[in-house]
Amino acid sequence: MNLHSILSILVFSPLAGIVVLAFVPKQAEKICKLVGVLFTLPALFLSLAIYFHYLAGKNLADFSVTHSWIQFRGFNVQEPVFSVAYELGINGFQLLLVVLTAVVATLSAIGAVRFVKKEWKGYFMLFLLLETGMLGVFTAENLILFFIFFEVTLIPTFFLIGKWGYFEKEKAAFSFLLYNGFGSAILLIVIMILFAKTGTTNIEMLRKIVADPSDPISGSLKLGLLISLLIAFGVKLPIFPLHSWMLRVHVQAPPSVVMIHSGILLKIGAYGLIRFGMGIFPEQFKMLATLIAVLGVMNLLCGAFLAFIQTDFKMVLAYSSISHMGIVLMGMAAMNQTGVQGAIFQVISHGLISALLFFIVGVLYERTDTSFIENLGGLAKGMPLAAGFLLAAGMASLGLPGMSGFVSEFMAFMGLFKTLPWLAAVGTIGIIMTAAYVLRAVLGMTFGQAHREFTGVFDLKGVEFIPVLVLVLLIVLIGVFPSVLSSPLHSALETILVGLGG
Amino acid sequence: MENAWLIPLFPLVSFVILLLIGKQLKERSAYVGILATFVSLVFSIVVLFQRFFEPTYSAKFNWLTIGDLHITAGFEVNQLNALMLFIVSLVSFLVHTYSKGYMHGDERFSVFYVYLGLFTFAMLGLVISPNLLQTYIFWELVGLGSFLLIGFYFYKEEAKAAAKKAFIMTRIGDVGLFIGMILLFWQTKSFEYSEIFKAVNAGQVSGTMITLTAILIFVGAVGKSGQFPLHSWLPDAMEGPTPVSALIHAATMVAAGVYLVAALFPLFLASKTALLTIAIIGAFTAIFAASIGLVQTDIKRVLAYSTVSQLGYMMFALGSAGYVAGVFHLMTHAFFKALLFLAAGSVIHAVGGNQDIEKMGGLWKKLKLTGPLFLIGTLAISGVPLLSGFFSKDEILAAAWEGGHPILFLLALIAAFFTAFYMFRLFFLVFTGEFRGKDEKHVHESPGSMTFPMIVLGVLAIVGGYVNTPWFGSYLGDWLVQGNAKLGSGHAEGPVWIQLAATLFSLGGSFFAWLIYGKRSVSRDWLSGKGGILHTILLNKYYIDEFYQMTIVAISKGISYLFRFIDVFLVEGLVKLVTSIIQGLGKLGAKLQSGQVQTYGAVAFLGLAVLVVIFALTGGYLR
Amino acid sequence: MSSVPASAFLALALILFCIGLYGALTKRNTVIVLISIELMLNAVNINLVTFSKYGLNPSITGQVFTLFAMAVGAAEAAVGLAILMSVYRNKKTVHIDEMDEMKN
Repeated sequence: MNLHSILSILVFSPLAGIVVLAFVPKQAEKICKLVGVLFTLPALFLSLAIYFHYLAGKNLADFSVTHSWIQFRGFNVQEPVFSVAYELGINGFQLLLVVLTAVVATLSAIGAVRFVKKEWKGYFMLFLLLETGMLGVFTAENLILFFIFFEVTLIPTFFLIGKWGYFEKEKAAFSFLLYNGFGSAILLIVIMILFAKTGTTNIEMLRKIVADPSDPISGSLKLGLLISLLIAFGVKLPIFPLHSWMLRVHVQAPPSVVMIHSGILLKIGAYGLIRFGMGIFPEQFKMLATLIAVLGVMNLLCGAFLAFIQTDFKMVLAYSSISHMGIVLMGMAAMNQTGVQGAIFQVISHGLISALLFFIVGVLYERTDTSFIENLGGLAKGMPLAAGFLLAAGMASLGLPGMSGFVSEFMAFMGLFKTLPWLAAVGTIGIIMTAAYVLRAVLGMTFGQAHREFTGVFDLKGVEFIPVLVLVLLIVLIGVFPSVLSSPLHSALETILVGLGG
Repeated sequence: MENAWLIPLFPLVSFVILLLIGKQLKERSAYVGILATFVSLVFSIVVLFQRFFEPTYSAKFNWLTIGDLHITAGFEVNQLNALMLFIVSLVSFLVHTYSKGYMHGDERFSVFYVYLGLFTFAMLGLVISPNLLQTYIFWELVGLGSFLLIGFYFYKEEAKAAAKKAFIMTRIGDVGLFIGMILLFWQTKSFEYSEIFKAVNAGQVSGTMITLTAILIFVGAVGKSGQFPLHSWLPDAMEGPTPVSALIHAATMVAAGVYLVAALFPLFLASKTALLTIAIIGAFTAIFAASIGLVQTDIKRVLAYSTVSQLGYMMFALGSAGYVAGVFHLMTHAFFKALLFLAAGSVIHAVGGNQDIEKMGGLWKKLKLTGPLFLIGTLAISGVPLLSGFFSKDEILAAAWEGGHPILFLLALIAAFFTAFYMFRLFFLVFTGEFRGKDEKHVHESPGSMTFPMIVLGVLAIVGGYVNTPWFGSYLGDWLVQGNAKLGSGHAEGPVWIQLAATLFSLGGSFFAWLIYGKRSVSRDWLSGKGGILHTILLNKYYIDEFYQMTIVAISKGISYLFRFIDVFLVEGLVKLVTSIIQGLGKLGAKLQSGQVQTYGAVAFLGLAVLVVIFALTGGYLR
Repeated sequence: MSSVPASAFLALALILFCIGLYGALTKRNTVIVLISIELMLNAVNINLVTFSKYGLNPSITGQVFTLFAMAVGAAEAAVGLAILMSVYRNKKTVHIDEMDEMKN
């Protein structure tokens, strides 16, 4: 197969599933589910193939693809003034995110088989569209293309939350759309200004143009653009005061969607900040580093302290996501290889851990009809396996060594301790609080006496083992052999950090 | 020694096997665990003997690459490691054997062995780590193992609380270690012990930095070894099954803090302030915990406070630059404290799960094996001459005298008195007099799988001290400091009266206890009646838990609610404000929609006119 | 032939357009409004024809375009009147300020 077409096939393969689903009658539930799960597999296999291709020592640049796409011509000018090309490409960082996306998407589809209770056809069509959007976001080499894929992720998510969610699903869906619409509007403005000023939206070219001393953008404008990017992706990440939409989404969306949302969609914010913010405006990023570190520590502490007093386990997890994204910000703000690598590790690791946690939450909710900590309790007796995996996931989340959370947390803190030791020291309170809230929640649900008799409670079974086992194994794998992530990252990080001069 | 890395792997294999098929094996799981730890023990002994004749061996490989930084993992066999390997695998093997009898009939029997395997793996991994990061990793895993085992009876609320407390309190300490480790890394560019020492000795690190990192690392040790003020988790940890208390909370995990300080001893030696801090905390903990131990009535809690106190002793020794003394006491303590816990477990097993010493008594006749073994442990820990504890305690006191802390020295002596007192109090209350519980007929001696480990430990508790005595030579000490003059001499020289004083104090404590609880010539209420308030304070452990509850827990709750206030009112309020402004604008706009086509037309025309004017004025572009 | 300057044609178109605009915005009778719109349309047509003759690139295009515009204008007038007829049947009025059904 031609290497250049692989990425396009990878990104658009889920769309084929939509076409197939269109011909499946609504009533054929089994077939709908089967098709939905099956069509997440090509992307999974292709992304793994690329990963192993990389491990075999091949060059990732072989996969990049460029076609001319949209061109605006002047009235009397022959060559295009503004041209937007269809450009997909992949480097080590993107590769990891693509693999993560493909894995979590497949597992989430498996989860949906259990958690979604109606209209599977529509669900899976939207879901597959969402997957295409996510894969596109991480492989786009062009800001316009990135933006289009970015929008493609918003719309299906809106419907997935609004239609298949819990009690306040509409409200959650609207606040999701409004916040993210706001973020993407700012993003669009930034892209347009860059486009108008430089005449290109190719990320590599932009990096080169901005790094060039004779670039057409003034320093203060660059700073303004970076702050706008920070806000745009800060909504997505989310950074502390911009977070309230994601709480609702975490609580109201169906677990399989939250797996995707918390596992992948939030990571677009981190990806954008690292790739565009840090990649294109390194100088300005340096100026903002302290601010970003402060934001990161704020996120970490606010999230942790707020998670400590929540009564709904889903809310605990939502605040825990905020807290963990704080670590990503801290790692970025360190502006050295250690910190940035830690941030990226945290992105991947949190993607896996939160997917695992929400899968288990989904399982528990399905059995017991509640996710409130005080209503659960003593589950370890009736559901020892689920309780065990929940404990394992909790341990991963609080950064137990030997699991992925530790490696990322460690590197992020290590990086920040080099540049801003006092802030990092304040941040370590977050490590303690994380342990406190995770244990409070997990032990509250599984240990102790059962508060009430649950009828029809049965342990994990059948297809439910696949996501749980795969995720736990991956988490442990990264924790024990972190080089599975660090080796692809190496060259990608060098390019990002070249601008930082360190 | 090249294969020393295999030692931790056997328990790991046992862990994995039992995790996968433990359910099917049921009680046969015990054999898997026992076999694995036995192989580890044999390997450890071989490694220990090899270490006598061969120099330190270490190996490493690249674990994680960050740009130009290569973080390695590996293993090292030096004197301290080899000794620790032996102690840990021995106690672990004995506890594995003992548990077969003790846990018999528990429905989660195999799970218990799964946890034991994990813990043993982590602990063995900890002691062969050649660098700080790897130590930290296993350090935390050890914490996990301990957490799981304390919370083994997960359905008990106390066990749940104790497990949570243990994890969080040790984590507070761990954060100190975490920060210290990273700061040290940026100073020395390495996690390797050898590299760190090289940098410290070469003077590459500033004095304040050494003190800061040393104290931070010590904070980690404080958390793990239950030193004041992070001690209160350890007595609560007695909620776990008794073999666990013997394994984790006496011989291995809690000793990890002492081990860490010993392993990083050259770093601590470079900072007088850090050493002094350790000595003060250690001595204070020793007497503080011993005083609480005087009045507790739960057999395991008395032993737990005794452990805290003895660990304080070890820290005190290290803080007085008595490297050999600290490590020596770590070893002898492992033997007699494990013995005491196992014997206590045997007693609890015998009386059907009761742990209150007020409901025991007169067990000497019933428990023909446990009784004498418990007595051996009591004598050893009290520092009665000729048993192991005597020699190690003597070594500590001599080191303290040499270190020049007369006040701390006195504290340690008083603590020795207390130790003898509460241990004999425990012994007399449990084994002499009349049985005060119910169901005397059911009291029975434990099965062979439980008595065998106790006998082994009993022998070691007697003879273990003779490897390092002032009379026959200090083999252990000389060997420990061999090839590393920095660590001090192999033996601390103290005046002879120290030995006499120590003996006097311990015998005095024993005698006093005998008067009150053995012979009963002094009323039991005499002491508690005299010091009414003091007695209550001791009984309530100085209200430390309550104090933490009122301060730290309350403050963090307070901060949480403050953040929630910000979150709910400020952030949400801001969002509400923005949305209502936009809604207001929308309503205003809606009012403009009069439905009059001609108004719309006029407005549209006006807009066009404005645009044309701008166009005319600027010539087409806004610049 | 070309003695009349282009500006005269343009001035005529401007005046016509303004009259039309005035009528369209102020008259209450819808028939008058429609007639005013026709006036504006024709002002534009005059412009088109003018530029087809005097513009930068004189060609026949402008005049052809005007023919199209007239045809479309006629069709539009027919449709407009037809709508007006049916509105009148329903509401018994031809006053434009009473036609605000779209608002609610």
